[in-house]
Amino acid sequence: MDLTYPATAEEFRQRVQSLIAENVPPGFTGTGALERAERDKFARRWRRTLAEHNLLAVSWPAEYGGGGLSPIEQVVLSEELARAGLPHGSESDMFGIQLIGNTLTVWGTEEQKQHFLPRILSGEDVWCQGYSEPEAGSDLASLRTRAVLHDGEWVINGSKIWTSAAQFANWIFVLCRTDPDAAKHKGISLLLVPMDQPGIEVRPIVNMLGEAIFNEVFFTDARTSAANVVGPVNNGWTVAMTLLGFERGASATTDAIRFEAGLERLFALAREHDRHRDPHIREQLAWCHGRVEVMRSRGYQALTRFLRGDNPGAEAAITKIMWSEYFQRETELAMEILGPEALTPDGRGANGAIAMPDPGTANTSRAWVESALTARSATIYAGSSQVQRNIIGEQLLGLPKEPRVTR
Amino acid sequence: MDFALSTEQEDFRVAIRRFVDERSPLSAVREAVQTDAGHDTGLWSRMSQDLGLPGLLIPEKVGGSGATMVDAAMVAEELGRGLVPSPYFATVALGVVPLLATVPSGIGAGVQADVLTEVAAGGCTLTTAMTEPRAANSLAPVSLRATATGGRTTLTGRKIQVIDGHTADKVIVVAVSAEAESRYGFYLVDGDAEGLTRTKVETLDLTRPMAHLELDGVPTTRLGEPMSWSEVERVLDRSATLLAAEMVGGLEGAMTLAVEYAKVRHQFERPIGSFQAIKHRCAEMAVELDAARAASLHAAYLASTDDPGLATAAPVALATAAAGFAFAASWDIQIHGGIGFTWEHDAHLYYRRAKADEVLFGSPRQNWLALADRLGI
Repeated sequence: MDLTYPATAEEFRQRVQSLIAENVPPGFTGTGALERAERDKFARRWRRTLAEHNLLAVSWPAEYGGGGLSPIEQVVLSEELARAGLPHGSESDMFGIQLIGNTLTVWGTEEQKQHFLPRILSGEDVWCQGYSEPEAGSDLASLRTRAVLHDGEWVINGSKIWTSAAQFANWIFVLCRTDPDAAKHKGISLLLVPMDQPGIEVRPIVNMLGEAIFNEVFFTDARTSAANVVGPVNNGWTVAMTLLGFERGASATTDAIRFEAGLERLFALAREHDRHRDPHIREQLAWCHGRVEVMRSRGYQALTRFLRGDNPGAEAAITKIMWSEYFQRETELAMEILGPEALTPDGRGANGAIAMPDPGTANTSRAWVESALTARSATIYAGSSQVQRNIIGEQLLGLPKEPRVTR
Repeated sequence: MDFALSTEQEDFRVAIRRFVDERSPLSAVREAVQTDAGHDTGLWSRMSQDLGLPGLLIPEKVGGSGATMVDAAMVAEELGRGLVPSPYFATVALGVVPLLATVPSGIGAGVQADVLTEVAAGGCTLTTAMTEPRAANSLAPVSLRATATGGRTTLTGRKIQVIDGHTADKVIVVAVSAEAESRYGFYLVDGDAEGLTRTKVETLDLTRPMAHLELDGVPTTRLGEPMSWSEVERVLDRSATLLAAEMVGGLEGAMTLAVEYAKVRHQFERPIGSFQAIKHRCAEMAVELDAARAASLHAAYLASTDDPGLATAAPVALATAAAGFAFAASWDIQIHGGIGFTWEHDAHLYYRRAKADEVLFGSPRQNWLALADRLGI
């Protein structure tokens, strides 16, 4: 066991630190310290800087504009960005780079890779993800959106829901049923569909914070070229599972870095409100520290697997449960510390963060209340806690599946 | 960067696991706890002499194998998984750890070297006597004070709930030093010393025997120099790391019982493990096991590198493992239903161990509060 990084990785770390120092103002504590509009402007500029230095899509091969970084370099980059409170690209890059881009590097044809990948990096194409449907949430494989080949084009009908950032996207990757007679998990294909066409309508959904960050997307005879299928036709479920399985190996250790920054804010909040002497609060704060330390150790373990090239497996389900349920408990503790102040949220907010807010976020009642409200979604999106527990029970412990209801 | 056991360590773990499964199934555990010693002395001979387990942490210079806290924790975990009653925990966590911590500089001559040599050879078991009657918790500062008269140091008073206190060849007594009231020391006493009365007592945890000790002018030798209570705590953090590892094993053992039963027990024409009400509790055990193992491994790693971070990592490991173990052991009984409440079923052995371990080194709540102090919240 050895927690030190090789010298070459430390040299790379210094290069990243220099790049960060050259591009952030003095005294910068993280993008959370910026007003929302200013933050968005800064984030766009920072994304260009990362792109210029080939630090945006670090795991892609260099021939498609990727960084071609070694795994340990990817880790170091993630850590330094997390410590500095800087994003690794835009919110849409989660879908463009992490999800569909990475999937194309595995399943894409040469033409698809050459066409799509550079356009993601240049910002020409901005992606969103069309998976969930009103009647297909946790039971994703029951999806009904249909795609039929007609005159060299897929014609798509149906609707997708909870599509984050669809309002910024000009492309969507969509799971469609392409063989309605096949078994549930067969007969699904992953299609790449341009959004700028009459057959697609995006309607925003206002979440419980009052913000429109996700959408419903309607397909009415929407079209895309027959060539825009990822992997074999009717094999979309396998392709999608690869995509979901992309462990955030490179960011294995960054969850703990971000949560630690959040916990420091919470300690400060407890002191400001003179609640830090209350044994109940002290116990809860210490528990939070314990969980962050557990996440850090698990991060080292995940990192070790990533560097060895091992598959994450059901541990990813444990990770999801652990951070999302921690996030809820931590933010509820903040509400308890705030006491009556939580009744009238005040000051700067959490800038619409969908998980832990960015480092530098103000220690205000509004920021914590927004985080506490947001935290309710963390145990639902990206696989609910109940789905994760099924995965752990069935895949890790070998417990029998629920019997299928026969009709 | 590598936060995983080495191939050699994994092989060692597998060997210990196999040893436990073959030599100490729970049926044998039940027999062992009926004996006067409270453990199978033949099994301990194999563990100490053939496998060299008590000598793991002991430097090669005095006959040990010079292994790390990570290795010692791994063994504790495997023994905990099988609830193996043995002098391993007391001898290593409560004996070897304070002996090594009080060696002045390097291990050469001296009483520590003599005792460690005997332990490494498999001929000596140890324990520490700490808890006193009416202590606020098992980790509160002690009040029994050593007496020094005419160049002779003796101990008089009462220590309770001493693990393996009735069998240990040598007992280390934590006491206020004779020199100053705010200083403490680890005092070495022979198990058969004159003036020492040891009474084996009934225990909640059937697999971990304890004795109460009466000391009446018992001759003793102080190990190392007198120290502050927080220095005593730094030593106990290392002991706690091994207890946490043992609890991780216990958690896994209890979880395995529950999971295996849920696969085979049928009700309503299906295995009960297919019901989410059962499956999800088992999944939560797996989450808590993963958390506890990560915390325990991290603490053991810090202990092996003498990192001061152990002061905060040890209470995290203890509280996380204790809460997880108690959760798994409670639900193990519930998932078994009526049969889980019977004497003949093994579920209560794990539950008893879990509830006893939960207070042995302070409850999770006490550990979280201690952590808050140490973090300076």
